[in-house]
Amino acid sequence: MGRTSLFSGWLRKSISTVMPIIVVIVVIGVFQLVNPTFLSYQGIITLIYSSAYFLVAACGLTFVIMMGSFDFSVISLLKLSAIICVLYIDKIGFMVIPIALLICVGFGFVNGLLFAKFKVPSFMVTLGISIVVEGIALYLSKGFLNIMYNKAFMAISTTFIAGLPSILYWAIGTWSICTFIAIRMPFGRRTYAIGGNSIAAGLSGINIERQRIYVFMLSGFLSGLAGILYMAQMGGGSTNIGVNMTIPLFASVVAGGTALTGGVGGPHRTLLGVIIITWIQAGLLMIGMGLNMQFVVIGLIAIVMTIATTDRRRTKIIK
Amino acid sequence: MGSKEDSIIEIKGVYKTFNGVVNAIEDISIAIRQNEIVGVVGENGAGKSTLMKVLVGVFPPDKGELYCKGEKVLFPKNPKEAARRGISIVYQEKGVIPCLKVYQFLFLGHEDKYEKMSNLNLGKMRKYAREILEEFHVNCDVDSFMYELPLSVQKMVEIAKAILNVRLEHGDNNITSVIILDEPTAPLTIEERKKLFSDILRMKKNVSFIFVSHIIPEVMEFTDRIHVLRDGRLVANFDLTKSKITEEDLFKEIVGKESSEHICKHEIKSNINEKIALSAMNLTKNGCYYDISFDLHKGECIGIFGTAGSGKSEIINTIAGVINYDSGTLMIKGRKVKAKELPYARLKRGVGYFSGEIEKNLFLNWPVTKNISILNIEKILSKFISTMNFKAEKQLAKKIIDRLRIKTDVNADCYSLSGGTKQKISVGKWLEKSPDILLLENPTIGIDVGARNDIYETILDMNKSGISIILVSDDPEEYYILCNKIFFLKEGRIQKVLSPEKFKEVMST
Repeated sequence: MGRTSLFSGWLRKSISTVMPIIVVIVVIGVFQLVNPTFLSYQGIITLIYSSAYFLVAACGLTFVIMMGSFDFSVISLLKLSAIICVLYIDKIGFMVIPIALLICVGFGFVNGLLFAKFKVPSFMVTLGISIVVEGIALYLSKGFLNIMYNKAFMAISTTFIAGLPSILYWAIGTWSICTFIAIRMPFGRRTYAIGGNSIAAGLSGINIERQRIYVFMLSGFLSGLAGILYMAQMGGGSTNIGVNMTIPLFASVVAGGTALTGGVGGPHRTLLGVIIITWIQAGLLMIGMGLNMQFVVIGLIAIVMTIATTDRRRTKIIK
Repeated sequence: MGSKEDSIIEIKGVYKTFNGVVNAIEDISIAIRQNEIVGVVGENGAGKSTLMKVLVGVFPPDKGELYCKGEKVLFPKNPKEAARRGISIVYQEKGVIPCLKVYQFLFLGHEDKYEKMSNLNLGKMRKYAREILEEFHVNCDVDSFMYELPLSVQKMVEIAKAILNVRLEHGDNNITSVIILDEPTAPLTIEERKKLFSDILRMKKNVSFIFVSHIIPEVMEFTDRIHVLRDGRLVANFDLTKSKITEEDLFKEIVGKESSEHICKHEIKSNINEKIALSAMNLTKNGCYYDISFDLHKGECIGIFGTAGSGKSEIINTIAGVINYDSGTLMIKGRKVKAKELPYARLKRGVGYFSGEIEKNLFLNWPVTKNISILNIEKILSKFISTMNFKAEKQLAKKIIDRLRIKTDVNADCYSLSGGTKQKISVGKWLEKSPDILLLENPTIGIDVGARNDIYETILDMNKSGISIILVSDDPEEYYILCNKIFFLKEGRIQKVLSPEKFKEVMST
């Protein structure tokens, strides 16, 4: 009795940590059984390509969610950054990279400014900005499929180092830096503080407005970086880049254990969430499931993972 | 049973404990008779709210009996059942849904009684709403939105809704209801209060009220009987219709003897510096306070005393940067500051704000270590690219915990700690921060006497080390213990300035 209650207490406390690990193991196990090539060399390369850029974007979103806010513009900014790269690489060369990043950080700044200073809910601001960005991307690309011919640019993501594509190293590097910032730097601590209790955070001497703007800028930056990596990996694309990716992105952050209410979780957890969501998607693709059914499965998994990883004991109001 | 004939609701021997003993109530017996207003008074944390929540079915009691008109009945399990027993409550705040129209709000939860072909009979609802508002002399249009009404009228509509709730639940207009008013005057201005009281007195012929408050003059003014709660027990009963009592009698019962004599007043302070730490000149925020001027010297502790709603809380929040002011000047350490400045900027100038409300202070899902270091983050940074040093963080927390003799593990999450310990940790982080000026608002709200004294000692220590303090509290005792000088605030204006000794005299006569 005593032992079981102790165990169940521990389980309840750490369910948001244990759950993603169990799910990852189950996902890998099931797909490996159904499809023995899942963990073959070629299979692993596919898995890396499907999840690496996603991890970069998800890290940025994690900071925003940790802070208790939403950023729906991540995928649009990813698309804009990718399209800027493919359209202007021939004209201005590698200068497209800083320009794309700068534009994305700029939009992040606008998000943050409207949210922090003008008190518009982040939900609304970022949805609005995402449509603005979509429009700009469509205007620039005119809706055509654009192919990336610049081999040097493609090499950013597709150079093989120690048998694995370089995009993996970019993603792991970004993830490590984000984890470091979240856990070891005051920047991360302040972000958690605002998500946990914004009133106490303000009274503890945190400049809430500035921190909110910084976090949205960081999210914008990482969206832009993800876009560059994505374009270098895919070698082309049109405005259908990132269609229906926003919900899987949120799902991967939440599945990792970063609650939408803010204050808990972190980029270190998002790694597992991204693996769950993108590998399921990739696994389904490998066994030949159609795109439509993939959406059904991913949508359901997003909800189930949220139920499984949220600590609802002290949540009073859910919106 | 020996219950009196005319009591409509009576409770006997009610006990309630929460896991632990926090805010429990013990052995409480109260009767409410026809056409009377019963006051239930006590300090914050005395168990008033718990008792009321037992009555309206929010918490089930551990033990106890409930009688309705002399008949023994079960305690209600939810507010709807409570209404069936004739009890309804008007909460202190957040009882109003601003974007509903008055008649919609009145019938909220009872729409099913006005259904006509699965459609609401709005005409009938409006008509009945008008009737009921007329009956209670509430002067407003049933089609206006709740947010358009002044606060006192909103309160009246809420009271009308509570009565209506009981009536509709019984389907009988002549039922006598018992309405609980939980600190009804807290958000109101002085004029609005007077209006509300006269309205309530007029309603007395149809309805009985339980009036919950900690504001003594109010309770004295218009209740028939008063029950005093202290630390979860019923300590005194007064019948104002039979015997006259003074505010002092009531005050003594509310505060109790034991809390006053533990701390001996600190020695006369000689370390008050001539240097002015903070000064306010004609500070005004319309509707809250007017022409507030004072100087706070270095090492001094001043108190701003007044009843709830006198503007004292707004003044301290203005200095903290939580709200801004309309006119006047505020100088901190000789520098004029802008009216619109956020708390972090004030903290940079050396003004810290500590409120007894845990929610404003602690990150409950964080361990003790992080809660202490968040305010002192510069002390735990490594020199190299300013990362946080977890070892230093832990040592910092250990130091504070040892100094304040808090018995807890530094890695324990804060929500699992007791109220007193939480408060001590909040004080501890300010102790480590040691700002030049510390603003205290109800620093010991809702905690027991022992923890209270520890906190007073810590505050006095900080004061001795040269920190200037401004205190605002609902507990007059605190002013006497901590302050060198007390400003008497009434209706948003400073009436007089008193020494602590004089203050005690005034409070006890």
